[in-house]
Amino acid sequence: MERSLTHVALFAALVAVLGLVPQISLAAGVPITAQSLGIMLCGTVLGARRGALAVLLFLALVAAGLPLLSGGRGGIGVFAGPSVGFLIGFPLAAFTAGWIVERTTLAPGLAAGAAAIIGGIGVLYAFGIPGMALVLQKSLGEASFIAMAFLPGDVLKAVLAGFVTQAIARMRPGALLSRA
Amino acid sequence: MSGIRLQDAGHGVAGKVILSGLDLHLTEARIGIVGRNGSGKTTLLRLIAGLVAPTTGTVRLDGIDPFHDRKGTLARLGILFQNPDHQILFPTVEEELAFGLRQQGQAQAQALEAARAALQAEGRGHWAGAAVATLSGGQRHWLCLQAVLMMRPATILLDEPFAGLDLPTIARMIRRLAALPQRLITISHEPAAVAGADRVIWLEAGRVAADGPPAEVLPAFTAEMARIGGTDADADLAG
Amino acid sequence: MLTLTSPVETPLHRLPAAAKLAALAVFTVVLFRLSSPAGLALALAVVVALHLPWGARFAAHAGRMMRPLWPFVAVVALWHLWVSDPRGGAVVVLRMAAAVAAANLVTMTTRLSDMLAVFEWLATPLARLIPPRRLALAFALMIRFIPQLSDRLRQIADAFRARSPRRPGWRVLVPATLAALDDADHAAEALRARGGTE
Repeated sequence: MERSLTHVALFAALVAVLGLVPQISLAAGVPITAQSLGIMLCGTVLGARRGALAVLLFLALVAAGLPLLSGGRGGIGVFAGPSVGFLIGFPLAAFTAGWIVERTTLAPGLAAGAAAIIGGIGVLYAFGIPGMALVLQKSLGEASFIAMAFLPGDVLKAVLAGFVTQAIARMRPGALLSRA
Repeated sequence: MSGIRLQDAGHGVAGKVILSGLDLHLTEARIGIVGRNGSGKTTLLRLIAGLVAPTTGTVRLDGIDPFHDRKGTLARLGILFQNPDHQILFPTVEEELAFGLRQQGQAQAQALEAARAALQAEGRGHWAGAAVATLSGGQRHWLCLQAVLMMRPATILLDEPFAGLDLPTIARMIRRLAALPQRLITISHEPAAVAGADRVIWLEAGRVAADGPPAEVLPAFTAEMARIGGTDADADLAG
Repeated sequence: MLTLTSPVETPLHRLPAAAKLAALAVFTVVLFRLSSPAGLALALAVVVALHLPWGARFAAHAGRMMRPLWPFVAVVALWHLWVSDPRGGAVVVLRMAAAVAAANLVTMTTRLSDMLAVFEWLATPLARLIPPRRLALAFALMIRFIPQLSDRLRQIADAFRARSPRRPGWRVLVPATLAALDDADHAAEALRARGGTE
């Protein structure tokens, strides 16, 4: 019981911290934040239920007024802006990614990479793009066009999520709750 | 049935034995447990505190099972972790202090009131709303011990209480601990930390190597540590 | 920890958080009902007017919180000028700006603890799924561990730089995730040592 609660809280904190550190440049010269990578890791490491709860906890504290979204954004205002669909998609992305890692028998790294692409990109964009279309009053096609700017970075993050999950499976097998 | 009684107690993780065949009855006011790194000291502490269950034998604290009877254990025993950052759970000082009382059934407002009163009594009233992240290492140690004391246990387990502290902080800590009416069980690899105890237990490879007054146990322990340190055979891997 | 609540005390700070949130919900629904630029401009003017009496520092803080919106405003404005539909562009921009600014105003005038108390209250119907005390504990634990994990991440990056001429980049991710897992185990033990989650 205690472990479940503290893992949820610590991964919510991890998502926050990964959004706060600007110095993580994932690839040469591309200063993208690792926050959405944190969302993917919640799912692939903690599993569906705990991963989604961690992301919900993170969003609750963002809404409550902590500037924890990448770029120092926070407050209720971010839920009224064009990114609202992505924020709603975050917990579902983590849940999907976790569910896939739990249900497949692939090597953890491969499963996590695939899960991060399906959950962290597929499911996330399925909510993010309509949200953006709604707030900006654009068609889905037009909103998708804007979202495509983030796609290369997100694919890179999904691959990294696979590597990180694989490394944890190797170094601390018992800690990979999605496979426990 | 008062005191702490271990009967043939042992603990292992994934088939690897860490502690085995411990028969101890601990009743003295000041007890020291010494041993080198990996001798099982911390596991023994966690076993007594009920943080892990024995894999063999039994552990009893005033007759109760510390692993299963958490409520009874909390009323009797507190544990001070070696690293304050592993112990502190809350963002502010007053919440950290109030938590234990809340766990013992007090209402939140009442627990916070008691926390503030305790800070006031220690001349640290202005700490109440402070963020724990802003406290120094010594101040965090103070907070952790105070959080344990708030729960009024009769026994306090101390895991390397002086590790990593500077000399003035150690002096303050020794003074504060000496004044406590509680039974203190201190584990350390440092003979000096337990020299003032009533009884010292030397653990070696998960078993009791010696048990008695410090004047008997500590010289033998120090000599053995010096002998081991004199050899260069530290290349062996455990397990 | 740094919050978005304004240190400039306004009378709005003293209103109950739940009332402000309810008013915000109503206001946002109204915004989506309005479709004329004039009506939306009026709504935005009301929100702006609520910001002004509290001094320049407060207004500047509010302005900074609106900054992430500008790229979207620019994209929408350019697009609607391109398709010669300035009216449609004005509706989208005014509505978005008013909705975000009003929400930010609630955030700026409500303390974190008050907001969390409302969330805990809102979650009471879910008490069987999420016991209120566990929720409160989860909020506290997360706030407690953000500075610690943040320090840890810095230490990891320093340790990397101490022995490598390259920037650590993504290489900090594995040790950072392991640090979170370890901290979670330590916190679970500390929690159990003081009575667990019951």
